[in-house]
Amino acid sequence: MPSAREDILSRLRRAVAQQPTFPNRPQAPYLPVTRLAPDEDLKARFIAEVERVKGTVHVAPDDAAARRTLRELLAGRNAQRVTMWDEAHIPLPGVTALLQELGIERIQGSNAEVATADAGITGADWAIATTGTLVLSSGPGKPRMASLLPPVHIAVLTEDRIVPRLEDYIAAQRAQRLGVFRRSSNVTLITGSSRTSDIEMHPVFGVHGPLELHVILIENLSEMG
Amino acid sequence: MKDNFSRSVIIALNDIQLQTALDRGTTRGVNNRIVAMGETTDANALRHQARLARERALNHLPDLLQQLERNVIANGGHVLWARDAAELNQIILDLCRKHDVRRVTKGKSMVTEESELNHALEANGIEVTESDLGEYIVQLAGETPSHIVFPMLHKTKEATAQLLHDKLGMPMTDKPEDMTRFVRGVMRRKYLEADMGISGVNFAIAETGTIATVENEGNNRLSTSTPRVYVAVMGIEKVIATWEDYAVLVQLLARSATGQRLSVYNNLMSGPRRADEPDGPDVFYLVIMDNGRSRILGTEYAESLACIRCGACLNACPVYQNIGGHAYGWVYPGPIGSIVTPLLLGPTRAPKLPYASSLCGACQAACPVEIAIPDMLLRLRRDLVQAGDPTPGWRIGMWLWATAFKSPVLYRLGGKMAGMATRLLAGRSGKIKSLPPPFDAWTKQRDFPAFAESSFRERLKRRRGKQTDA
Repeated sequence: MPSAREDILSRLRRAVAQQPTFPNRPQAPYLPVTRLAPDEDLKARFIAEVERVKGTVHVAPDDAAARRTLRELLAGRNAQRVTMWDEAHIPLPGVTALLQELGIERIQGSNAEVATADAGITGADWAIATTGTLVLSSGPGKPRMASLLPPVHIAVLTEDRIVPRLEDYIAAQRAQRLGVFRRSSNVTLITGSSRTSDIEMHPVFGVHGPLELHVILIENLSEMG
Repeated sequence: MKDNFSRSVIIALNDIQLQTALDRGTTRGVNNRIVAMGETTDANALRHQARLARERALNHLPDLLQQLERNVIANGGHVLWARDAAELNQIILDLCRKHDVRRVTKGKSMVTEESELNHALEANGIEVTESDLGEYIVQLAGETPSHIVFPMLHKTKEATAQLLHDKLGMPMTDKPEDMTRFVRGVMRRKYLEADMGISGVNFAIAETGTIATVENEGNNRLSTSTPRVYVAVMGIEKVIATWEDYAVLVQLLARSATGQRLSVYNNLMSGPRRADEPDGPDVFYLVIMDNGRSRILGTEYAESLACIRCGACLNACPVYQNIGGHAYGWVYPGPIGSIVTPLLLGPTRAPKLPYASSLCGACQAACPVEIAIPDMLLRLRRDLVQAGDPTPGWRIGMWLWATAFKSPVLYRLGGKMAGMATRLLAGRSGKIKSLPPPFDAWTKQRDFPAFAESSFRERLKRRRGKQTDA
């Protein structure tokens, strides 16, 4: 008896062989979905889009300011336990030292333990301006849970990681032969705080994912030498 | 499914709670989509682009499925195939046994609704929890989803609060915010205890073997990341060729379904946790189910397989807006359901559905992949007539109709007579409650409106006359 696989594939082969189901129409170059003015300020657009989907962007002119923001966010929420990516993957030196200074315990290990953290701190591979999206890939020192289980997700990002559109992010991966999708078991595009509209299509924020999303955006350091 | 369509419709129309929920829900749905599509670079060009991406995928379906399979395996995952719903359930049961699974959390999956997987697992002593808020409430109520994207669209917030109060002891509230926070607390434990996570698939990207899911709550991320075994379940039509196709389709899906620019979490899963990764599932299975789809591919209904399950046609449909999802009798409601259900289950199992449409075309206008839903509904009606044995009354009626339609004189005369007759019967209300036989078949289930005083042609003539005078 043929396997289910052989059965299904041979049926499909017969179906597409009889006649191509649809005429083979040439594909025009892809039109991107979102509008973007030629001279648009990507940073301003990114900030506006994140805030539109109930995230908060904290702009920091330098590392010291970014650390101050992080300290305020953690202290303001009286965080006792924090889970985070390895510092090498967060574009801000001194996070571990800051946690020690604040007397905050760093949680690692099982999902159940990570779930007790008050906040999760991550970096982000890229950010997408026109949709207000963060791109996070999994990898060594980059647990998925840090952006998922704690009630507060804090992502640290430098301005140079902002691309205009989702299509530009895909093009950049295409240039890298799509390596990230083979290397990482998980890539997540995060657009705002966890939400639902299940009850009468009425939007409610903070469902199963983090209740709060904070982006610490460090402005480009190039002009500072 | 049972063919209780007419009865279900009458029940639905008299259900005040349902009517309230439908009014509130579908109106928001339609408005959100119109705004979100309107602010794109070019809505119609993008819909066409998305359509072509789906057409190319279907033209190369067997090749793409094999490419997907190769790449999932290269990523360290396993691929299993199911001819039908029974095979799908058996595969997942076997996986539960193999991996000693007691508890399962599920992200949204329409395919497992087709197979009624929850019942199959529960019958074998496995606890299954739907993790999407709406799906969870539907499961708690012992119901089935009534909308592809908003499963509990049939429920008001008041009914939801009562259910959560009765079943789980939630303090009474009329705030969706409080209800949501309460369910978050309940579900947290479930995720951490689950041995297996199951999710549906929005797109399977062949060139890297990546499973894309689309969600807003975070329940899908939790279901696919926390348990040690992750199983993704897809219909054969979900595969797409490239990441560029993904970029356009996923954005049109979000805009059409909920009016968002992107859904909150777009999860891209390529196999199980790598050896050097700190978390994620240890094992990954992709199950690919046919369940009647391969029969549709070579036919004039093939474009129904292009559907990306956004639910826009449901919200836009005046029939769905009035009867809700349950009246359609099976997993897929609304205009697309009226096509998919008879095609997947066989035409005799749902003979009324192709007629559950006024052919107004709102569904096609809303569809992000340009599916010609009204054309297919007409073809399904034709098939039903050709397969059945129409009554003499039906034949005579159709002959009279066709004759009148072919002759302008008869058409005008018929219109005038029908106008006079209906206005006489309707009286001041403008509605006829019961027509004489054989027309009473219509008024058994609904009123018949009286014809307008003057016909479109007459009004146009008068209007033109006025314009020339001016």
